[in-house]
Amino acid sequence: MASREIVQYDSGLSRVFKVLAQVFLVVYLIWTVSPFIIMVGSSMKDLLEAFTLPRVGDWLGALSFFDFSPTFKHYVALFAEENFGAYLTNSLIASVGSALVAVVLGTSCAYSMSRYQFRGKKDVFFWIISTRMAPVVAVIVPLYAIFRSFGLVGTLPGLILAYTTFNLPFAIWMLKGFFDNVPYAIEEAAQCDGATRLQATMQILPLVAPGIGAFLVLCILFAWNDFLFATIIGSGGAKTLPVATKELIQPQNVQWGKIMAAGVVTTAPMMLLGLLIRRYLVAGLTMGAVKE
Amino acid sequence: MVAISIENVWKYYGETVAVQDLNLECRDGEFVCVLGPSGCGKSSTMRMLAGLEHISAGQILFGDKRINELAPKDRDIAMVFENYALYPHKTVAENMANPLRMAGVDKATVTKKVLDAAKLLEIDHLLDRKPVELSGGQKQRVAIGRVIVRQPAVYLFDEPIAHLDAKLRARMRTELKHLQQHQGVTTVYVTHDQLEALSMADRIAVMHDGVLQQFGTPAEIYSNPVNTWVAGFVGEPTMNLILTEVATEADRPKLTHKGFTIDLDGQLGEAALRGNEKALRFGIRPENLKVSLERSPGAIEGTVYTRQLLGSDLLVEVETGNDHFRVRTSPAFEGEVDRPCYISYDLGHAHLFSAETGQSIV
Ligand SMILES: Nc1ncnc2c1ncn2[C@@H]1O[C@H](COP(=O)(O)OP(=O)(O)OP(=O)(O)O)[C@@H](O)[C@H]1O
Ligand SMILES: [Mg+2]
Repeated sequence: MASREIVQYDSGLSRVFKVLAQVFLVVYLIWTVSPFIIMVGSSMKDLLEAFTLPRVGDWLGALSFFDFSPTFKHYVALFAEENFGAYLTNSLIASVGSALVAVVLGTSCAYSMSRYQFRGKKDVFFWIISTRMAPVVAVIVPLYAIFRSFGLVGTLPGLILAYTTFNLPFAIWMLKGFFDNVPYAIEEAAQCDGATRLQATMQILPLVAPGIGAFLVLCILFAWNDFLFATIIGSGGAKTLPVATKELIQPQNVQWGKIMAAGVVTTAPMMLLGLLIRRYLVAGLTMGAVKE
Repeated sequence: MVAISIENVWKYYGETVAVQDLNLECRDGEFVCVLGPSGCGKSSTMRMLAGLEHISAGQILFGDKRINELAPKDRDIAMVFENYALYPHKTVAENMANPLRMAGVDKATVTKKVLDAAKLLEIDHLLDRKPVELSGGQKQRVAIGRVIVRQPAVYLFDEPIAHLDAKLRARMRTELKHLQQHQGVTTVYVTHDQLEALSMADRIAVMHDGVLQQFGTPAEIYSNPVNTWVAGFVGEPTMNLILTEVATEADRPKLTHKGFTIDLDGQLGEAALRGNEKALRFGIRPENLKVSLERSPGAIEGTVYTRQLLGSDLLVEVETGNDHFRVRTSPAFEGEVDRPCYISYDLGHAHLFSAETGQSIV
């Protein structure tokens, strides 16, 4: 492999470009990070403090944003009054559950799609992808009708099933690529080493593990952040965090403090997950690494 | 430790025929080489033996047991793959230990056997590396190691040493041959290198375009090739195969060519007349010809075309009547390019092939 350093030579234009790039990065950073700062900050303020705004043009006044005495009363209220503990659990079960189901089914299906040749394989594959082509809003009504007749509306299994319906095609599509990258010869070698067909397949699972791991996270993220399915199919018995947060907005009373705190509660687990598996995720998504 | 019979075996990939009506018998403990050029169906044969490809027609027996329907693990085989097929996520040691682990061998024995095999293959300093950190030749040795750690009924080697350097290849030939004789494991060894086949095999099966051409001991294959194809493929430098016409003069057959005539007698003469063929290919190996700068009776006259040094010998190509004879001689030969020279031959080593079918007629 060539060395990592990219050879560069300065010219007037490139120097200007460098400065512009840095300015852009700073603006972009503020743009993406400030909502989080405001959210976290406001979740720990009293209502009055949260709405103190500096006069127009008083840039230093912006610093007053950080001038407050932190309070955790919104968080306490969320869990004590609003039953957010249960919603957090619902969110966890629905997202992790659907991710697990999608990955288990998706892995086995993707494996066969990658390894076996059969008539109409291309059509089947296209059909699997095509189920993702219709917008969620378009199918949600018929889906609701079906789910209701099976008594799945308002239940966690119903929600898991709904997410799986949408995650599974994606899982198959993505994981097939990972299996395609693993030469079949490795499984053949395993069989000659004395493995059964199934054992041979198990032998290559470590090679697609980064892909499976990355995909697991994507599934969890999808389900965790989902609002549409959650309000319609999960409403009632299986309320998740986004839906619960939305319900804090009542016609007469928008509870800003709690909403901000709920935002933090919803975001934090995913950020944590992201940090934990960051290296794994990147490795998984850029995997060309499995060569012979 | 089992005899192999391949009976009327065909292999189709869709429309393409990779192996045609193959019949082979490997005796118990025998070392059989399957020799042929790229794409002749060697790997296909191998993979059918291993159980990695379906047998399109015919059957294969290990002993008296038909194995067509057996899974690879039930055939008691060990195979070295052409493309190594190592486990990328396992270290060299784990790769080599895998078959033993599968068989449930205890840890201490596994470690010992892996180390022994690694020492034999000179890869004991690489045991902790992953396959990506190895060179092609090292990977190939790991693949061999993975196979020789255990003693199955049949070894299958698919070009196992093709990627090693010449010196190591020579050593590996001896080591593998020694190991095989020592263990007495029936071995099928695929190669496209005729020297490898000649030096290692008990018997060689020469294949071309999916068809078995000849099956015999290295000596038989070398000295009695059944057709021009085998004659041309086995032996280096290759046999001279010159197209000549058959003529008779006073009832004595002879071969005529623009540059020379050869009087035939005895067995060759009878053979030449028997088929009533107009044209025959005259075949003789370069080492069975002598070249000299002095004229001698019956010698073929020509001019030196090139000289190539082959280590201890000299290969001289002599042009005569638009055809070239390759002659293996000693480097002491003084003929420079374009000098006239004379080739003498011993008809006892000559072959005659039908010009039409290429079959040997002697
Ligand atoms: N999976 C396949 N599908 C279709 N055709 C194949 C397949 N595998 C091999 N073939 C064809 O079958 C023929 C024999 O192939 P095979 O791999 O047995 O050759 P080989 O003798 O091992 O050659 P090499 O020395 O290059 O390895 C070739 O013409 C090849 O193109
Ligand atoms: Mg091959």
